[in-house]
Amino acid sequence: MIEVRELRRSFGGVKALDGVTLTVGDGERRAVIGPNGAGKTTLFNVLTGELPPTGGDVRLAGAEITRLRPWQRARLGLARVYQRTELFAPLSARENVALAVAARAGPYRAFRAPPRSEYAAADALLERVGLAGRENAAARILSHGERRQLELAVALAQRPRVLLLDEPTAGMSPAETARITELISGLDRALTILIVEHDMDVVFRLADRVSVLHEGRVIADGTVSEIRGDVRVHDVYLGKAVSVA
Amino acid sequence: MTRAARWVALAAVAVGLVTFPYWSAAWETSRFATTVLRDMLVFAIFALSLDILVGHAGMPSLGHAAFFGGGAYAAGIASQRLGTDQLPITLAAAVLVAALLALVIGLLVVRSEGIFLLMLTLALAQIVFAIAFQWTAVTGGSNGLAGVSRPTLFGIDLSAPDRMYVLVAATFLVVSLLIWSLMRSPYGRALTGVRENERRMRALGYDTTRLKLSAFVVAGMIAGVAGALSAYSQRFVSPGDAGIGTSVQAFVMVLIGGAGTILGPVLGAGVVMYIQRVLSSAIPVSETVLGLVFIGFVLLARQGIVGLGRAAYARVRAP
Ligand SMILES: Nc1ncnc2c1ncn2[C@@H]1O[C@H](COP(=O)(O)OP(=O)(O)OP(=O)(O)O)[C@@H](O)[C@H]1O
Ligand SMILES: [Mg+2]
Repeated sequence: MIEVRELRRSFGGVKALDGVTLTVGDGERRAVIGPNGAGKTTLFNVLTGELPPTGGDVRLAGAEITRLRPWQRARLGLARVYQRTELFAPLSARENVALAVAARAGPYRAFRAPPRSEYAAADALLERVGLAGRENAAARILSHGERRQLELAVALAQRPRVLLLDEPTAGMSPAETARITELISGLDRALTILIVEHDMDVVFRLADRVSVLHEGRVIADGTVSEIRGDVRVHDVYLGKAVSVA
Repeated sequence: MTRAARWVALAAVAVGLVTFPYWSAAWETSRFATTVLRDMLVFAIFALSLDILVGHAGMPSLGHAAFFGGGAYAAGIASQRLGTDQLPITLAAAVLVAALLALVIGLLVVRSEGIFLLMLTLALAQIVFAIAFQWTAVTGGSNGLAGVSRPTLFGIDLSAPDRMYVLVAATFLVVSLLIWSLMRSPYGRALTGVRENERRMRALGYDTTRLKLSAFVVAGMIAGVAGALSAYSQRFVSPGDAGIGTSVQAFVMVLIGGAGTILGPVLGAGVVMYIQRVLSSAIPVSETVLGLVFIGFVLLARQGIVGLGRAAYARVRAP
C-alpha cells in the first residue's frame, strides 16, 4: 500500500531522514519505533506531503505521489493523527468531525445549511472514540486525552485507506490508552495503519510488524517477536525505554 | 424569541429601513438623514465584504479598496462610454472588473499570511490606485470621474434621492442575507476551518489555496457592488475610492463592529460614518474621536461592539 524508497530529508545539517526504504502491505499494521529525534514525525510529514523530501520517492497503492500536495494525498485516502494535536480550537467537537466528514463533498456548496447527515455521522464517530456527550464542547476546552480522542475521530471521519497515527496515546491516562488501543485494534482490517508509539505494550498489542528508526535510518524491520529479540533494537531503544520507565 | 418571531422582527426592521425616506419625510432633517444613512449602508456592504476575508476566512487585507474603487470606476466608465444608465449593465461591469481584480490580486497573495498578507494587499491596491490616479484619459486622473449618471432599472428612474436610497437599502439587505446564508453553508464552515487551522484543512483534503482564492473573488465582487453604489450615489468617483484611506476605513469598521459577524461590520460602518459625517459638523476634532474609539476597541474590546453586546447579554442571563 505504501512504498518508500531511499527517502531523505535534512534540516540544515541535520539528516532527519537518511535514506529510508519501507514497504507496508495492504491492510498491514506497522509500528514505527525509535528514540526521540529518530525522524518518525518527519517520515510522516514527508508521507503526507507537508514536507518535501530532499530525495527519494513515495508510492501509495502503486501510484507515485511524491509530488502531490497534502490535500491531494488526503483525497487519495491518506489520513493522519498528529503528534501535537491539530484541531479547530473554537469549534465544537461535532463541527471538528463534520469538517472531516464533509471533505469528500467539498466546500463548494453554498446557500444551504450543512446536511444533517454530516452531523449524524460526526456524532456516531464521536461516540465510537468515547466522546459521547461532548459533541457541543469546543475543542479548546476538552482535556488533553479528549483532544487525542477527537483527533482520532477526525482522522477516521475521512474514511481513509491509510491511517498514520503519530503517538495517538501520548499523554493519555492508562484507562484512556487502553480504550484507544482497543478502538484501533478493532478498526477495519482492510485499513492500512502506520503507528508511531513509545508505549511498547501498545505497539506489541497493535502491530503486525515493526520498523525501528534510528538517526534517520531503518535499523531493523520484522515481526513483533523478531524485534523483541533483536539486540541492536534493545541497545538503541528498548533498553532506553526501560531505563526511562 | 422563537425562530418565527425573530424572522418577523427582522422583516419589520428591513421594511422600516428600506422605507426610511418616506416615514421620516416630515422630519426637518429627513433629507440629510437619508443621505447619511445611504452612505452608511454603502459602506456597510463594503465592510461586510471585507469581513468575509478578515473575520470569516482569517485573511486580513489592507487592499480592499482596490475592488471598491475598481467597481466604482467600472460602473462610472461603463455608463459614460456606453452612454447607458441601465443598472444591470453598469452593475455587471462593476462586478466583473472587481472580480477580475480580486482574481489577479488573490492569486498573488493567497499563499501569504499575517503581516505579509497585509503588506502585499496594501502594495497591490496601491498599484490600482496609481492606475486610477494616472490614467487620466480613462479615469479622469486626479480630477476623478465626474458626472456619473444615476441608474434606471426596468424603466424606473432611480435618480431621485429617495429612490437612490431605496436601491442602496434593498441591495444592502440582499447582500446581508447572501453573506449570512453563505457563511452558514458548508462553504462558510470551510472558510472557518481555514481560519482556525489551515494545515488541518489541507490534511483533510481541502484545497485551501483555491478556497481562499474563491473567498477573495466573492469578497471582491461584493466590494465592487458597494463601489458601484457609491459611484451612483455621489455621481462621482475619485482615485481616493481605491486608495489606502478607503481600505483602512473599512478595516476600522470591521474591527469596531466585530469581525466574523454580520451585525458587526454594519454597526461599525454606522459608528464610523456617524462620527465622520454627523459628529464632524458638531465638533472639530471628530477624526481624533474616531482614532480614540478605534484604539479603545483594539485595546479593550477585540470582539468589537458585537462582542461587548454578547458579553453584556451573557451577564444579564447569568444568575
Ligand atoms: N521543521 C524542522 N526544522 C528543523 N529541524 C527539524 C524539523 N522537524 C524535525 N527536525 C529535526 O529532525 C530530527 C527528527 O525529528 P522528528 O520530529 O522527526 O523526530 P521523532 O522521531 O518524531 O521524535 P519524537 O519521538 O520526539 O517525536 C530532529 O533532530 C529534529 O530536531
Ligand atoms: Mg515525533
